[in-house]
Amino acid sequence: MVRILLRFSEDIVEQPITSQIILELKVPINIITAHVNSKGGEVLAEVPDESLDKIVKAFRKRGAKVSIPKLIEVDTEKCVSCGACVTLCPVEAITIDEDASVVFNKEKCIGSTCSACVDACPSRAIKSVKQNNSELTANNTH
Amino acid sequence: MKRLVESSGIEVAFREVDVVTTGTFGAMCSSGAIINVGHSDPPIKIDQAWINDVPICHPGAAVDLYIGATAMSERQPFEYGGGHVIEDLVSGKEVELRATAYGTDCYPRTQIRTNLTKDDLNQFYLLNFRNCYQRYNCAVNSRDETIYTYMGKLLPRLKNATYSGAGELNPLMNDPDYETIGIGTRIFLGGAQGYVIGEGTQHEPQNLNGTIMVRGDAKKMNPEFLRGATFTRYGTTLYVGLGIPIPILNEGLAKKTAIRDEEIFTNVVDYGVPRRNRPKLAKVSYKELKSGAITVGDKRIRVSSLSSLKTARKIAATLKVWIEQGEFFLTAPAERLPVDTVFKPMRQTEEVSFVANVMQKAVTCSETEAVKAVAERIVTRSVNHIVVVDGNGKLTGIVTSWDITRALAQGKTALADIVTRRVITAKLDEPLETASKRMAQHNISALPVIDNEKKVLGIVTAEDVSKLLGR
Repeated sequence: MVRILLRFSEDIVEQPITSQIILELKVPINIITAHVNSKGGEVLAEVPDESLDKIVKAFRKRGAKVSIPKLIEVDTEKCVSCGACVTLCPVEAITIDEDASVVFNKEKCIGSTCSACVDACPSRAIKSVKQNNSELTANNTH
Repeated sequence: MKRLVESSGIEVAFREVDVVTTGTFGAMCSSGAIINVGHSDPPIKIDQAWINDVPICHPGAAVDLYIGATAMSERQPFEYGGGHVIEDLVSGKEVELRATAYGTDCYPRTQIRTNLTKDDLNQFYLLNFRNCYQRYNCAVNSRDETIYTYMGKLLPRLKNATYSGAGELNPLMNDPDYETIGIGTRIFLGGAQGYVIGEGTQHEPQNLNGTIMVRGDAKKMNPEFLRGATFTRYGTTLYVGLGIPIPILNEGLAKKTAIRDEEIFTNVVDYGVPRRNRPKLAKVSYKELKSGAITVGDKRIRVSSLSSLKTARKIAATLKVWIEQGEFFLTAPAERLPVDTVFKPMRQTEEVSFVANVMQKAVTCSETEAVKAVAERIVTRSVNHIVVVDGNGKLTGIVTSWDITRALAQGKTALADIVTRRVITAKLDEPLETASKRMAQHNISALPVIDNEKKVLGIVTAEDVSKLLGR
């Protein structure tokens, strides 16, 4: 599965775009987090690798912006492995390994849609990464 | 030592082991550094001073300054503070000193601005008046909102817990009767050699809450073991790395240094209650704390550390290497830490107000009542807030005279349509100050007072608060 970040503008947020694409392409789209109101929406979703290209195209055709989310960045020089962030992660993407190091599982992290760990870091070693739409072009989806 | 005592017994361990090294690395707010910046020409008797915009104390004569770890930058409060200034100086970075003075015949200068590195300072000593707590509380939050404390970010309704301390690796825990620790004990401090200079403030040995006061040459320290840190909405601090070698002088010390995490207990404390005596909800061992989850009642709570066990282990290991290589020599204390000090609360000569002192009886209604009936009650009882309760007197909402006025203007008749259901509340034993702040924060003028079961006990209004202040 691949994670994609979908952004819906105010003009299209009322349309059932995700359901239409699921029905049209007959692909599963797993919504991980969603922040939606009348002004627009941001949805983090998981899609099968092999369907990524056509799903991205379908969303773009309907006016949604699609990017591969870069989630958080951890400055390993600053991190002292205190662990203050561990219990704040709602998806348990942060763990402590055998040698007491704090480990970030970027696969699990839901990133900027959550950011619960960012302000809990006493060393200010965690940064939520602003999404960059240009990272994902139609020809280069990986 | 711990494993050796388990496998071979105390006698063997006593014969085999000469020294046990310990370590801890955590936020220690009562830390700072004393510096002497030398005299300028013409000279200045510094009155107020800032380094990188962080206010610095001026406790001595003309040019002696104390950088407190928790002092915060005036430009970037809560992000940069005294702890960061100390780290920057230790790292060799240049910092900006700014100072003002009233000017005297012997010290005519009234202001100065200059850039300094640690090499420009005459003395740069870490001087921490309370470090190395023997053990510390485990913190949770019972409130309905996330709170930001010196124990980190605490999620609502006991959704997470935090703790601090190295447990079985803590220096004082390995010598709980302070047989080998006291004034003059040479220690690992911030990556260099330092000294214990006495008991720390709030030293409370009989409760296993011992602390130490320490000093060390910060010019020789290493920023890996001395880090400025920030606790969101609480303030800045300094992470201090500290390790003490415990010489195994007798079998008793062999036994004491064999202490394990499962033998060290601490209280789970509710930091949601902003009082000196916060409720203790459970007792847990450091073994449970380090396992990642604790149990309070029938609730499993994920717990994380605020101090770094990884760095604590590194400190104990580094100290061991120093001793083995003959770079570090153990000292006998000139005077042992006291074992009978009591930690007294503050004597308060002025009365403090709590919610209970100004709370009034709440005027209530049920959600099934008509808007008109509630409007009449507002008039007859001359109040602005009606608390909506269910059959058991439990809070379900609130309506204000403004809500009622608007409902009447719009022709609405059912109370259920206009009730505010997300009610901001207060607790009986809460300080009035925090309750008032909450009213201001949410731009509201009253808080229903409820117990833990949401039963309405009364109401506290902004009017009552101002009456009390105007008394």
